[in-house]
Amino acid sequence: MHRDALQEVANVAMGEAGAKLAELLDTFVRLSVPRILISDAAEVPDTLGKLLEPHNAVTAVRQSFLSRIQGEAIVLFGEAGCAELADLMGYDGVLAPSERREVLLDIANVLVGACLGGVFRQFGLELGFTAPSLLAEDTPAQRLIRADTLDWSRALLVEVNFRLEQGAFSSHLIVLLPERSIDRMRESLDQIIAAL
Amino acid sequence: MPDRSELLEFAVDRANIGIFALDREMHVLLWNRFMADHSGKESAEVIGRNLFDCFPDLPRRWLEKKVAGVFLLKNFAFTSWEQRPYLFRFHHGRPVTGGIDYMQQTCTFVPVKNASGEVSAVCVTLVDATDTAIAYRQLERAMATVRENARCDGLTGVFNRRHLEERLSEEFYRSRRYGGPLSLVMLDIDHFKRVNDVHGHLAGDEVLRIVAARVSEAVRASDIFGRYGGEEFGVILPGTDIAGARVVADKLRELVSGQPLAYKDVGLEITVSCGVAQVAPEHTTYEEVIRLADTALYRAKREGRNRVCA
Repeated sequence: MHRDALQEVANVAMGEAGAKLAELLDTFVRLSVPRILISDAAEVPDTLGKLLEPHNAVTAVRQSFLSRIQGEAIVLFGEAGCAELADLMGYDGVLAPSERREVLLDIANVLVGACLGGVFRQFGLELGFTAPSLLAEDTPAQRLIRADTLDWSRALLVEVNFRLEQGAFSSHLIVLLPERSIDRMRESLDQIIAAL
Repeated sequence: MPDRSELLEFAVDRANIGIFALDREMHVLLWNRFMADHSGKESAEVIGRNLFDCFPDLPRRWLEKKVAGVFLLKNFAFTSWEQRPYLFRFHHGRPVTGGIDYMQQTCTFVPVKNASGEVSAVCVTLVDATDTAIAYRQLERAMATVRENARCDGLTGVFNRRHLEERLSEEFYRSRRYGGPLSLVMLDIDHFKRVNDVHGHLAGDEVLRIVAARVSEAVRASDIFGRYGGEEFGVILPGTDIAGARVVADKLRELVSGQPLAYKDVGLEITVSCGVAQVAPEHTTYEEVIRLADTALYRAKREGRNRVCA
């Protein structure tokens, strides 16, 4: 039941996020239906590898979000279509490497904010963010996170695919919630269910 | 005692970070002391005015999009000095910084929401990250020096043996995978021990330096030259077969042997011997090529020195 409720909350949030991103970028965007997985922390690297093409090198940006429910969002980018999106984000001309990184950080921030903002609004929680930072460049997906560096045992993964209707740009948003936050999210979902 | 709102106002105004706020049309709503001191524009001069009118240097299209995103998505936004060193051209008060032109800035854009949850303004905090940036750049420079030292020979300044072997290994596998010839020249100074015995070790060092310098200037940009050890040097010649490598080796030999080396007031007659080898299909490791070139080098020595053998 919690899972269905979360799926519903996530679907609504992504619908809103898609509309807002389209307005901001002035182009059609596609957000996939979120996939929700509960995983043992030890399996997170493999799960990430399976969600994506395991051998494809990805560039990843991470960003922490802070509220009663805390966690980390990771946005994974392929190489294609970055320049187009950069133009939509207000960047001019050919991108230097540092500008390319800034575009990716910007996109990640916008994507994470739009998607999580919608979820937390439904929970009635104010959400804060830390600055996004680069997690990895051109690294195989399953090597992004090392299981032994996770200090919790179970994780909730929410995966959303974001792409522009026209052009090649696409990225994945993955939200990782540690165990303690999973319990708190359950409470928030209980409240939503009770209010129905 | 000041009351809470007086304290808040004081804290915002005098905080040692920049704090300012903008409305949707980019009019300035708040401008604290830090911003006034560093921009040279008092709050009375900028409040109510469009930010870009006050600061025409700002990256307008990008910043408008950024602020629009905060209003629309009701979301935080960030900039970091690592990607965008600064928004405002503020002086950093550290004249001896080497290469850092303006205060390095990290900014956070926070949506200011009204009672109905709509974003009515954007509050921006700007942190001076110049010290961090300087420390980071010093670290980067130090790392570059360490990397450089790790691959260069201290005496002659050319690549050292480790780097030479690394490159030979890379070129070896590239040649095996993609085809194309690959040759190696080993070059050894003749009677180097005699130079040391007669003229002293400083003379020997100088000979090594001059030989390294002459060869460095003569090799092509695609060739990889380094000191293999002692008085022995190596030149990796990608895309060159054994015949071409012989020509190169002979040219290098003439370059060193043809003209005496000046040490103090003495002209030292120095000659070199070269051994040349080309990678063949039966070679399974790059070490075999080194061995082959070394064998040719010893033959050149045995046959009377100052010559090239393949």
